[in-house]
Amino acid sequence: MVGESLAARVLAGHVASAARLIRLLEDERPEGRDALHELYPKSGRAHVVGVTGPPGAGKSTLVSALITALRKAQKRVGVIAVDPSSPLSGGALLGDRVRMQQHATDAGVFIRSMASRGHPGGLARAAWEAGVVLDAMGFDLLLVETVGVGQGEIDILELAQTTVVVCLPGAGDEVQAIKAGLLEIADLLVLNKADLPGAEQAQRHLEAMLRHGPASGWPRPLLRTIAAREEGTEALVQALAAHRAHLEASGELALIEARRARRPFLARVRERVADGLEAELANGPEARALLAQVERRTLDPYTAADRWLARAGGPT
Amino acid sequence: MAEPKAPRDRAAELRAAREAWERETLAPALAREGERQPRFETQALHWPVERLATPADLEAVGFDYLRDVGFPGEYPYTRGTEPNGYRSRLWTMTQVTGFGTGGEWARRAKFMLDQGLSGLIIEYDLPTTNGYDSDHPLAAGEVGRAGTAIDTLADMEAALDFPFERLRHLTSVCNGPQPVNLAMILAALEKKGVDPASFTLQMPNAILIEYTCVGRYIFPPEHGLRIATDVIEYVIRHHPNWLPISVVSAQLYAARANPVQELAFSFSIAMQYLDSVLARGLTVDEVAPYFSFITGVDMDFFEAVGKLRAYRKIWARLMKERYGATTPEALKLKLMASPGTMSLTLQQPLNNIARLAIQMLACALGGGGQVMTTPLHDEAHALPSEEAIAVGAAIQQIVAFESGAADSIDPLAGSYRVELMTRRIEAAVFAEIEKIDAMGGALAAIKTGYFQRELAREQFERNRAIEQGERKLVGVNLGAREDEKRGIEIFRLDSDSERRQIEQLARVKARRDAGKVAAALDQVREAAESDQNLVPPILEAVKLYATQGEICDVLREAFGTYTPDSLTTGV
Amino acid sequence: MPAGGERRIRVLLAKLGLDSHTIGVTVIARALRDAGMEVIYSGLKQTPEMVVATAIQEDVDVVGLSSLSAAHMTHFPRVVELLREQGAGDKLVLAGGVIPDEDAAVLRQAGVSRIFTMGARTDDIVAYLREWWASR
Repeated sequence: MVGESLAARVLAGHVASAARLIRLLEDERPEGRDALHELYPKSGRAHVVGVTGPPGAGKSTLVSALITALRKAQKRVGVIAVDPSSPLSGGALLGDRVRMQQHATDAGVFIRSMASRGHPGGLARAAWEAGVVLDAMGFDLLLVETVGVGQGEIDILELAQTTVVVCLPGAGDEVQAIKAGLLEIADLLVLNKADLPGAEQAQRHLEAMLRHGPASGWPRPLLRTIAAREEGTEALVQALAAHRAHLEASGELALIEARRARRPFLARVRERVADGLEAELANGPEARALLAQVERRTLDPYTAADRWLARAGGPT
Repeated sequence: MAEPKAPRDRAAELRAAREAWERETLAPALAREGERQPRFETQALHWPVERLATPADLEAVGFDYLRDVGFPGEYPYTRGTEPNGYRSRLWTMTQVTGFGTGGEWARRAKFMLDQGLSGLIIEYDLPTTNGYDSDHPLAAGEVGRAGTAIDTLADMEAALDFPFERLRHLTSVCNGPQPVNLAMILAALEKKGVDPASFTLQMPNAILIEYTCVGRYIFPPEHGLRIATDVIEYVIRHHPNWLPISVVSAQLYAARANPVQELAFSFSIAMQYLDSVLARGLTVDEVAPYFSFITGVDMDFFEAVGKLRAYRKIWARLMKERYGATTPEALKLKLMASPGTMSLTLQQPLNNIARLAIQMLACALGGGGQVMTTPLHDEAHALPSEEAIAVGAAIQQIVAFESGAADSIDPLAGSYRVELMTRRIEAAVFAEIEKIDAMGGALAAIKTGYFQRELAREQFERNRAIEQGERKLVGVNLGAREDEKRGIEIFRLDSDSERRQIEQLARVKARRDAGKVAAALDQVREAAESDQNLVPPILEAVKLYATQGEICDVLREAFGTYTPDSLTTGV
Repeated sequence: MPAGGERRIRVLLAKLGLDSHTIGVTVIARALRDAGMEVIYSGLKQTPEMVVATAIQEDVDVVGLSSLSAAHMTHFPRVVELLREQGAGDKLVLAGGVIPDEDAAVLRQAGVSRIFTMGARTDDIVAYLREWWASR
């Protein structure tokens, strides 16, 4: 392995190299970019599945049970489990894999805990990058797990090909899910902890909601699982495969891939432009002069932005 | 002679007198010398400590002696459950028993009984309490270490191989696989020809505490509760002089719960068990007497005394007001309190003797029940030594015989501070219980991780307070000696013991009738999948030398295993 | 908001064997998070193989092993051994809990860099990790 590039080692299936690369990408190191450049053309085969839902729904247990079922079906599974970084210290407590540890020594499973690192959407910027690495490495499915509150679920929609929303029965929790807008983004809806009281009621409620949702070629299924007993996961595996097949057959996959390609490209451009402006504001007289006018209220911020962009030769 | 004043006049007089004192006597003193710290707070609850409590403070909260305090041996039992306190009989003074394998434990048991002790405690190793046999991969290095290794009935027969005539009380601490443990004890007693009614077997059977803070559980919580209920029901129906449930709130205390959390979580847990047993057709007056509570007190003297008095009162009120219990046996709390270990330090261990004495005094004054133990002053780093055991025993005797603390019943009653503290703890505990009720009770609080998160916060906070010096600990952040070096001793079992235990297990398995064992395990499975009581089929399996691990594996298949997520571990 | 491009120390906290005391890892996990580190907790009942596989997948810098039973002598050296076998010997391995001096000496010989027994201050642990990180 000595002398081979990081990307080559990842393609050869070397776990430590993949782990190291994901780290380099998280830390925005140039060596990471180089390897990503080599690996990106090799990605695009994996089925990227987002798993989200309110806290307490049992997402991690469900992911673990899903891994068991997928492994039985001979699929190799990558998992990216995202949790929020502390806004105060920047550190993070990452405990999602506690429930997945039965798979820790399975060579066909790769689990990576990731902190959101201040990303406003709650989904780490590097989650997509890690996905490319694991995709190129040959994993058949990528499960990306995040907490679905606030903005988090919008990110997952843009990152995943299939979005699974997990909720649980109980005093209006299904209503919670609906309120948070989770129902709209779900391709598959999973009612977990289906042995709890109120499950029948929750199921009827959710099914009614799904029926009233926007019509599309894909009849969004509601699945019942008891993840702690690994019950209902076979049906979930089949539903995931069915959705993937639907995306391919309907041509929707191409649209999704286009969206998935656009997102990091746009995000990067925005980032670079913003970085440029920050640098300008720190050092450049023109930008600083414009900002001073805004501060003095002799110029509104939007006109100031237009003027700066016009000077920089950008869009008007 | 002047006429006695009307209460309202008395109150006004007191208020005026206090204001005068503050103006004329206190203020000048404060002007000369300020207070030694900006705030005075209680140690665990961080409640502000009043400078001076007076009768006016009790009046302000509507204190009524007859209603709120009453008399010893009478509802609400604030002054104690024994009518004559410790004046007729002192508490039973007990000590730790120690560790080792089955045969070694039996030898020590015989020794202790010969010395005149009549109460013994048997604890089990980690593989046993986690439902694994000694030959399981996870058992490596742990066999016989934290307690006795019990794989089959043969091991229990070896452990109980001592004369039972002088034994009054045997405590068996097993929790997770409690029905297997109970079955093995019953089967061993039968083989020995010992009448179960001739002594008291106490099984804490405290699985909900394990889920909350100790971690020795196997199955998901609702199944753990079902199993515990099977044990309680079986014992009540077949061995009514045994004690099948103790809420070990001392474990909550050890996990840094403050007195309000400790009592509220403990009582919620007790009510969860109680509801579960009542659902099987028994009444509260039949069941409540079987509950006992084990607690530890900490260094804050007034929190300790207040907690003990509130403990009795809250149980009595809950049993009466919520469950309609009517008999004294149901209303009287069975409490076993002891000095706690959370304030004992590794550094300057002799200081712990003073700490234990103060806590023991609090137990004697507040009423710690009929059985108390002293932890050893060097427990943090040394194995039990004769000297440490002797010091522990002496602490109890000095408090009992030299201080006068046991000579008057509930002697701190009437102290304004103590009564305020008792009231305040009682009110806070009821409020917290209501909060837990709203979540759906203790089982729900465990499943959503509420108890665990509260404890994690207390743990972090307490550690921070000590590291920052906010909470004073002599020898640690006050009067610490830079050059102090303290070694740590741990119990080491010789590696041969583990090997011998595994060989013994293999021999037992080779000798038994495999077909009958398999059939018996099927019966256990059937019971697990229905709502039959698990104890009878497990008893049959145990008699055929089915192993602890085999029986627990059948239950694992039926119930699944429990891996809490990080929300419920609190990490 | 903290920048994404900052290098953060990644620490795995693991409990090996059947010991279920979690107060130590709870307190240390939060202290390390408050010090800006990313802490991965792998739960109870871990085997050395599980811990090492996790450490490698997560590309942690530090592996913290906790034990309040005597299993440390069986399990901890095995973790170091496996890390080295799998090319991850440069990860810092620390141990915590109830560990006598003579055991600590053996563990250090076996490759555990530092033992933090009960009563160790979280400030000291954070300082030690930061010093180690800076000196790499």
